[in-house]
Parts: sequence; C-alpha cells; structure tokens
Amino acid sequence: MKKVIASALSVAMVAAIAAGCTTPTPTDAPDGTTAAGSDVVETTAGGDGETEATEATSGAVETTIGTGSEVINLWTFTEEVPGMVQYYVNNIDPDFGTKYTVKCTYINGAENYQPAVDAALVAGGDSAPDLYCAEADYILKYTQGDMSRFAATYKSLGIDVDSKISAAEIAQYTVDIGSRDGEVVALGYQATGGAMIYRASIAEEVFGSSEPADIEAIVGAGSGNWDKFWEAAATLKEKGYSVVSGSGDMWNVCKNAGQPWIVDGNLTIAPEREAFLDIAKKLKDEDLSNNAPGWDTAWYNDMMGVGDRGVFCFFGPAWLINYVMVRDGQKAAGEGTFGDWRVCTPPVGFFWGGTWLMAREGTTKAEGVAKIIEWVTLDTSETGLQYLWANDKMGNNAKDTVASAVVMAKSDGSLEFCGGQNIFPTFIAGNSNASGKGMTQYDATINNYFTDAANQYAEGNLDRDAALETFKANVSDNLSF
Amino acid sequence: MSDNAIKQSSIKKNDVGLKVVIYIVAIFFSIMTLFPFVMMLANCFKSSDEVQQSAITFWSADPIGNFQKNWTFIMSKEFKPQIGFVNSFIVATCSTLLNVYFSSLTAYAISAYEWKLREAFNGMIMAIMMIPGTVTTIGFYQMVYKLGMVNKLSILIIPSIAAPMTVFFMRQYLQASLSMEIVQSARIDGAGEFRIFNQIVIPLMKPAIATQAIFAYVGSWNNLFMPLILLTDKDKRTLPVMVSLLTNDSYRTEFGAVYVGLFITVLPLIVVYAFLSKFIVEGVALGGVKS
Amino acid sequence: MRNKKLVNYAKFGYLFSIPFILAFCVFTLYPVIYTFIIGFTDLKGAGNTEWHFLPQVGKNLFVNFKDVLTSGSFQKAFKNTVIIWIMNFIPQIGFALLFTAWFTDRRSKVKGQGIFKILFYMPNIITAATLAILFNVMFGYPKGPVNDILIGVSKFFGVERKAYNFNANEWPVKIIIAFIQFYQWYGHTMVNLIAGVIGISPEVFEAAEIDGANRVQTFFLVTIPCIRQIMLFVLVTSLIGGLNMFDVPQLYIGTNANNAGLTTNMYIRNQAFSGSYLYNRAAAASVILFIVIVVLSSVLFYILRDKDEAKLKKLRKQELRAARKGL
Repeated sequence: MKKVIASALSVAMVAAIAAGCTTPTPTDAPDGTTAAGSDVVETTAGGDGETEATEATSGAVETTIGTGSEVINLWTFTEEVPGMVQYYVNNIDPDFGTKYTVKCTYINGAENYQPAVDAALVAGGDSAPDLYCAEADYILKYTQGDMSRFAATYKSLGIDVDSKISAAEIAQYTVDIGSRDGEVVALGYQATGGAMIYRASIAEEVFGSSEPADIEAIVGAGSGNWDKFWEAAATLKEKGYSVVSGSGDMWNVCKNAGQPWIVDGNLTIAPEREAFLDIAKKLKDEDLSNNAPGWDTAWYNDMMGVGDRGVFCFFGPAWLINYVMVRDGQKAAGEGTFGDWRVCTPPVGFFWGGTWLMAREGTTKAEGVAKIIEWVTLDTSETGLQYLWANDKMGNNAKDTVASAVVMAKSDGSLEFCGGQNIFPTFIAGNSNASGKGMTQYDATINNYFTDAANQYAEGNLDRDAALETFKANVSDNLSF
Repeated sequence: MSDNAIKQSSIKKNDVGLKVVIYIVAIFFSIMTLFPFVMMLANCFKSSDEVQQSAITFWSADPIGNFQKNWTFIMSKEFKPQIGFVNSFIVATCSTLLNVYFSSLTAYAISAYEWKLREAFNGMIMAIMMIPGTVTTIGFYQMVYKLGMVNKLSILIIPSIAAPMTVFFMRQYLQASLSMEIVQSARIDGAGEFRIFNQIVIPLMKPAIATQAIFAYVGSWNNLFMPLILLTDKDKRTLPVMVSLLTNDSYRTEFGAVYVGLFITVLPLIVVYAFLSKFIVEGVALGGVKS
Repeated sequence: MRNKKLVNYAKFGYLFSIPFILAFCVFTLYPVIYTFIIGFTDLKGAGNTEWHFLPQVGKNLFVNFKDVLTSGSFQKAFKNTVIIWIMNFIPQIGFALLFTAWFTDRRSKVKGQGIFKILFYMPNIITAATLAILFNVMFGYPKGPVNDILIGVSKFFGVERKAYNFNANEWPVKIIIAFIQFYQWYGHTMVNLIAGVIGISPEVFEAAEIDGANRVQTFFLVTIPCIRQIMLFVLVTSLIGGLNMFDVPQLYIGTNANNAGLTTNMYIRNQAFSGSYLYNRAAAASVILFIVIVVLSSVLFYILRDKDEAKLKKLRKQELRAARKGL
C-alpha cells in the first residue's frame, strides 16, 4: 500500500516537473499589446513597484541580459530594475546588449538582501556587484553610513551630475539622501511624496462632496496637525466607516518626520514620532480603524472595499496606487473599488519609499554602468526611463511619479483608477515634504521596535511610559545607543 | 488451566478498551498532522482572492482554472523548480551519504577500538554538538567568501562529513547493539578492519542509518539560511530558497501561486520519506547477535 | 597477550576518525575560533574587518560579556527560551513515549501502525519557515482563520465577540511557538525511540512475560531502561535544539509582541544584524550560550550515565594499572 502511494506521488511529481519544462507564453494576446501580458504576468506590488517588462519578452525577466563580453553584475531586491535594463537593451540601445552582459542577482526581503550584498561588496573581485540598489528603509547605510565607502561618485563614472540634476530638476530630497559629503553617489528614479487617497463614494455620503478641495478643507490638509482629521474621523464613525485601515497607515506619515532617531550618538524621540503612540491608542480605543496591519490580508481587503467596515482613506505615494491598490479583483472598470479613489493633500506631509541606484567604487565597467544610471535617473527625454515610467509606456499599466520635475511637468497623470483625476500635481506638491533629514541608517530596526511598543500600548498591555521604556531598552540592547 | 483461560479473556477485554483509546488518539493526531498539508494543497486550487477571504476552507469556485493560473504564474516568474529540484537533490543526497557514512565510521572508531584519545575525542564531539549555529554562521560565510567558494554546491556538501549529532546517535546505537564477538570472529577469518566495517558493521546499523539518513536528508533539503546567502546564482539555488524568495516578497499578491510553490517543495521530501520509512518500520532482528 | 591486541587495533581508531576531524577543523573549527576570539574585541559595523582586542582600546577584556549578561533583552530571551522549551518538550516526550509504547507493544498489534508512524513524522518534513508563516497567518488579526472560527462559534452561542490579537500578547505567542515546535518534533522523537526499541533483543521481553509483567510494568521497567542510550540521545539533542530555537520564533513573530517570542539565538542574530552589526557582542553571547548548553548537557549525561558501565571502566583501569606495574 505504501509502495503504491509512494509510486503515485513520484509519478505525479515527475509529471508536474515535466509540465513545468514547457516554457510558458502569455495566453493569446490580441495584437501583442502589453495589456495582455498582465494576464499571465501579474504586476505585483513592489515597495517601489515591481514589474515585468512584458513588451518584448515572454514575461519573465531574464537573469542575463545582453550578449556582450563585458559582464556587469547587477544586484537588487525586486525585478523592477532588471526589467528596466531589459527594456533598455531591447528597445533603446541594442548596441549596449552586444557590448555588455548584465547578470542580475536578486534576493527578496531586506533581511536577506542586505547581508548578501554587504558580503559581496566586501569580498570584491569579479563577482562583486557593479551596480546595486537599495530601498529607502536602508539607503542611508549605503550612501552615508557603514557601507558608503563602496559607492562610487557619479562624477567618477563620467556623469556630469551637477548640471544634469539641475537640468532635470530632480527632487532635492533624492539628491540629499544620495549624497555622501556633498558628492552624489546614488539617485532614485521615483519621487515618493505622499498624498491622502480617499474613497469618493464615502466622501459623498458622509461629507456631501468628493471634490479634493472640499475634502482638503474638511481634514485640514497642509495644516501639519491632525485636529480636523480627528473630527472627520468621528463623523465617519457615526456613519459606520473607519477613517483608516490601521495604525500603520498613519505611522507611514509620522515616520520620517522631525529629528532623526540618532542625534550625536544618542537616541532622540522626535515629538512627531512620539505623537504616534497617542495616535495608535486613539485609533484603537475609539474604534476608528479596522486594526489591519499593513501588507496584511485585511489591509488589502480594505483597499478592495470588502473589509469589516468601509475605510475612508489611505496614505501613500503614487506607487501605492499603481502597484498595491490596483490589484487582482479591481484592475478594470466595474471591479471592486476601481475608479472610486481620489487624491488630495494630506493633513501632515510625508514621503514613503523609493529605490536608489549605486555603482561600486572601483568597478571596471564604469562606462556601461554610467549609461544605465544616466538613462534611469537623469534622462528627461521621451525615451528616458523617467518619462516612460510616468506615462505608462513600459507595459506596467501604471503611471508613477518620478524624480525629475521636468518630466513630471510634461507627463499626464490621469488615472482611470482615480476616476480620471490627474494625480501628478498633488503628488508633486507632496514631494516638497520629502526630506532625508529625519532618516538614519538604523531606521528599519528602530521603527520596528517603536511601532511594536506603540501596538502594545494601544492593546493595553503596557502603559505609555512603560512602552517608551521598553522601546529605549530594546534600542540600547540591540543597537547600542 | 481455567485460571489461565480467565486471565486470557480479561486480557482480551482490556485489549479492546485500550485499542479503542489508541485508535482515537492516533487518529486525532493524524488529522492534526495532516491539516497543514491538506490546507496547503487546497490553497493551490484557489485564486488569490479566495485564499485571502478564507484560508482554511477546502472549497473553491474554479479549482482547475485557478490551479492553472497559479501554476502558470509560478512558472513565469524566476521560479524554475527543475533547477531548484536538481540542485536540492544533489546537495541533499550527497551530503546525506557523506554524513551517514562518515558518522558511522567515526562512531565505530569510538565504540570498537580502545585508544588513548578516545574519551577526549568523544567529549570533543559532544562539545561541538553543543555549539549554537549562530557561532559558526558568522565566521563560516566570511570564510567562504574569502575562499571564493561562493556559488559552488560543494560548499554545502563537504562540511557534512563532520556531523556530530549523527555520530552521537550512531555511537549510542552501537553501544547498545554492537557485540565485539562478531568483529573478532571476522578478524580470525582474516578480514581487514575496513572490510569488517563495510561488510559487517554497516549492515548491522541499518535501522540507525535509515533513521539518520532521513533526518539528514530533510535537514539538508530544508536548510534555508546558508544556501540563501551563499548561492546567489540563479542556477545554483536550491528549491526551498526559490520558494522562500516567493514568500519573502512582502508584496506578494498571488497567494495561491505561493502555496503551489510551497507544495512543490514538500512533495519530493514526502516521496523520499515514503520510500525510506519502511526500513525503519521493518527493523533488523538484532536478537540474533545479542544472545 | 591482551595488551598486544589492544595496541594493534587502536591505530584504526585514529585512522577512521581522520575524515571527521579534517572536515571539522576546516569548516567548523576556524569559524568557531574566529567567533570566540571576536567576543573579546571591538569588532562591529557592516563590512568591517579590522578589530582590536578590548584592552588595546582601553576597555576591560570582558566588557562584551558583561553587556550581554546585564542586558534586559538577553535575560528575557533566555527566560523565554527555557519556558518555551519546557512547554514544548514535556508534551513532546510524553506523547512520543506513549505512542512508542503503543506501537511496539508485543502483545497487541495496532493495525495501521505503519501509516501512523509515517504520518506523525511528516510535520518534521515541512520547512520550519513554512510552518511559522502558516501559523502567523492562521492567527492573524483582525482577520484570520482562528479568529473567524472564534467569532463564528461565539455567534452560534449568542455571544458577540471581537477578534483577539493572538500575535500581540505574551502568553498566546509563547504557547503557539511551543505548539509549533511540539508539532514538528514529536514524530521525530517517536521515530528515534522506536528505532531504539526495535534494537532490544526479544528474549528480554520473553523473559519479562514469563515473569508475569503486565504492559505498564514491561514498559517502564524493561523497555525504558533498555533504551537508555537512545533516551539520552533524545534528551540531549532536544535540549540543544531547544536552546538553539531560531527558525520558528523568528519567522512567526520576530521581535514583535514586546519580545514575547525572543529566544537566545534570535538575540544573537539581532546583535549581529539589526543595524549596528555588533559582532563582538553577538560572539560573546554565543560563548555564553555555549557554556550554558555544555553545563546542562553534562548534567544530563551524569544523571543518565550507565552506572554499571562506569564501575566496569573503573575496574578495568585499575587492572591495567596493576598489570603495568606488575610488568
């Protein structure tokens, strides 16, 4: 009997593997339009948008791009940048593909990516990364912190940074974060200033209007405090709605504000961040949210309008809309909450996320690396990545906000998902809130401890002082501050 | 005589009662054991939405269609189970063989021979066993990078020659079941020590070897952290690493596909286990030697 | 005559151990020594390879050790590890022994044992990571299978209940982790014990039967003593595994819930990889953990030592000494 089961299983397994051997092609696409690719190859959400270049290839992003003799090692944590490189080689500069081969290594998950790329950079040699990426959560470590000595200045790569940056009007915070002692070593291609993204239908029902200007007045947009916001929350609750999905949504607004966590080697708690303790408690005690943690099933449900209670708004940059809210179940008109969202300026300004590109100091492929970096971060022409990215020309079904104000000015951000509203102006205004001054290279860990302390306080397991004490003890024990 | 008969029948009654209890408990545990597996399997046939809505029901609106979608999605990303499976298979099989063989050899060395450093060596093996994994990890992968042995499967295989836990188990087993008489009679027959080991001792240790082989295989197969850091080349990745990259993607939206990936990882192990388990169940009649 | 034979074969003891020693020295010894040394230095920071011994930079040699032992997180981690291990181990060994007794019973064959044995071992096959994530999802808040059931069942009894945040509270977290560990390992333990029982000569059992021992007596007075060596193996490996607990708590809860699930190995990893890369403190903590394990294992070994064997060894040693003196 056992033998029968075992043989049956092995047959099933072999069959499964054999089936997998046939390379998948997207289901019959009408006219090879890029939209068809998204049937099979989902545009999954990325912290800064994860995509597949479906234009020219059959869907998967190759590990190796190009056929040249010189090898460029690209290390990253999503398929986004490799997708861009692939597009570049296929459509913009095929010669690049004949001269270089780009080998992409990617490791998902910040806890896994960082040790691996750190070890690779330290080891050096042929397999060391020539081009590598980092996310907002830990970018400072690579541009100004412990690992910054491995990043080459853009100038040394032959890029005329200063004039190009001002010509493209790159968002200043991107430059600040990417600079080491005044020299640019990294630039991001996105601009991640945030906005308040709210449901028009709920706004109509509760406040009588869904016009951004009206809602801004009601929540106290741009005021820098949450007073009017709480009033609106109470009104929403009376009508049976939650104002936000969970406390995490509001944390994203607080988290980069004010002084950084570490000042002169000491842990400092900026009042803007300390306020989050009370925000979390208020949300829980007064039952103003659905208590959904970010990136959780319940959070996604709230985006689709099928959570416990309807949720009025989310806070996020454009990528939240393009890559997270537009999801399976609401990708086209008539599905889920498609078309029901609008954006407006939030009560408190913020920014969230972003990916930066760096080249390794001492790379022997400076020319090739420089070409890619320039195309992605500084090229403002209509074939530059930024323009394509902002105008949905790469088949991602998304219009993202990019770092170059010049490109944004000539791009059209009307999104059907937002009922046709042009979302760019709101987000561009949001960029002015973005500043790297509140960040440290330890943010990922410290933020985790802080939000956990806030949660414990909100749950009632710790009182406010105890929560702060625990937080400080954790930071001291694990980070030595 | 009738006394005995009464005893027999009352034993039989107790037997039935006991058996009922045994079956109830065993079946309960079996259900509990199977639950996550069945859940994983059921989720393979659900669409992402359905998984989100309710992860533990077995119902799905369109099982076949969903499965096809999930399957295609998994295959279309960088997830190539053929490569992962082959790599995992090579690493797990080779390291299991090395692990089991050399551990038996070492355990035999400790149990069968009297040599001066024997106790010290034994103690050292115990000590090594107690070293927490994190102690070696930090130093190990710095060393691997320095040696330039990154992305070579052998770096995961060769260290299994030194497997203190297996040695420990084999030693305990040998102490309980090895009788030197058989070895001595073989020596008298003129057999060399190495031959004695291979032809007499190893067959003797079959249950222990089978047991440890399973443990070693599973352990090697499921090893996640080391291969994740040391095998960054797409073509060298083992299966669990590939699947973990799927599940680690915090922005995963294709839950159904992730479950398909998870299930693919587990399936080979179940097969291997099914084949080897009968060895444990059969066992060897050691009684013959022990008298 | 006896001495000659011993000397002749002793060299094989050395010979056969060489592969193990070689592999060990290269792949384990170097990293371990490196780590142990680091405990006495000031090495920290990502990508740093330069370090100095602490006295060289004007600090006490043991300052890392002191920092670790006095740190609240370490103390909590240690307490958690012990508590969770005990909660996991007692049911584990209990049920393993119970099933071993039932499935190796010579008097009543349980039908379908084979299948039960196979099934009980299966949880050990699943990667710990998968299980941890699965359980995290199952106990999700506000929406998760367990909460759904809780709310549904309560409704059935007319009680309105809100979802309970399992993953944010101290004891639920610990119990769940202990359960996952139990779930993964009880079959493994059972298999080990059964392998040991199979190795017992049937004559021993026949003798016990003739003497009129019933099932319970046979099990406790005959079977268990005979598998003493395997029991020792099970206890020691479980102790070591328990104190080294990492995968499950790390992936299930991490440092959330106010460190409710923080174990010593997680503490060590956080020292090394949380952002400050305090390799020296991580190394010091590893050494401390190592010492604890050694001490506890030695205690186990001592308790479970084969007293007869020890006496025999002593006698033999005395004989040898006398014989040498005599010669």
